[in-house]
Amino acid sequence: MQLPSPLFLAATPSSPEIDFRFEQHTLSIKGESYPENAAAFYGPLIAAVRSYVEACHDAQITVHVSLAYFNSSSTKMLFTLFDTLNQAAIDGNHVRLNWYHDEDDDTILEFGQELQLDFTALDFHDHAVRSE
Amino acid sequence: MLYQEFNEFWDVARKRNIIFFYAGYFSQHVVSAISETIKARLDTAGAAGPTRRRIFSSFIEMSQNIMHYSSDSLTPNAQLDQQMRRGSFCIGTRGDSFFLLCANPVSTESVARISSRLEPLHTMTMEEIRLAYRKALRDDVPADSKGAGLGFLTLARDASEPLEFEFAQDPQEPGSTIFCIKAII
Repeated sequence: MQLPSPLFLAATPSSPEIDFRFEQHTLSIKGESYPENAAAFYGPLIAAVRSYVEACHDAQITVHVSLAYFNSSSTKMLFTLFDTLNQAAIDGNHVRLNWYHDEDDDTILEFGQELQLDFTALDFHDHAVRSE
Repeated sequence: MLYQEFNEFWDVARKRNIIFFYAGYFSQHVVSAISETIKARLDTAGAAGPTRRRIFSSFIEMSQNIMHYSSDSLTPNAQLDQQMRRGSFCIGTRGDSFFLLCANPVSTESVARISSRLEPLHTMTMEEIRLAYRKALRDDVPADSKGAGLGFLTLARDASEPLEFEFAQDPQEPGSTIFCIKAII
């Protein structure tokens, strides 16, 4: 099966930059996330990742998530996205999740810990970034 | 005279230690624009990083609540994007803490439902709120939610005291009630 074409969305004040390079097996999300309708924003992205992982076999997938803030409805959608990636890891791919957060941001650190609890197939790497 | 009118208004706000106040229609553009000023305002107010983030998070949850659920809407009720709904929001300081206050009209029949969501949070410990949040994160989204059903729990998690809330009669509209919520951070 063919891999989907790359997906890029520029950041806006309330939505993150999305840079999914499926052929390189690298998915990046970066910025702040509080869109008006998180389901409308993340729904198509999750669908694209689903069709991508269906085409993956024994792939080395790297995911970078560097979000400075996400609201409650984005939180739920991110949880669904990582569920999809976890399933891809169970199905035999290697999925490395690089989780970046400010060193004193407990909320994002703790959400990363929640992800590790539920999605044990992900190769989770926490990166505390020093505040500027 | 013109400037005097402003000054009287600002004097009231200053006396109440208000650092930001907005009353009117909330759209996604308004929320983003206020976000920018609030971030700058909190920087100059000298709040610590984690406090600043909790205030910002609470502002987003409160203002998006108004945008999604206020009963005074300029856009059709069924429309889920580019909504504009009326409410008011302010941030102030009290001693060493910050407080956030928001208010918007809701239909009187929804009062019991909103209450039933907020009432249990009032008596929960921080640990119980954390557990409820973790459970809601994994549950299906409630049918009446436009988000994740995590909004009030997020507010409760970010606050340092139990959330206060109140329903007041709307003097202009007999069928609607003013819903107020206050978070202390």
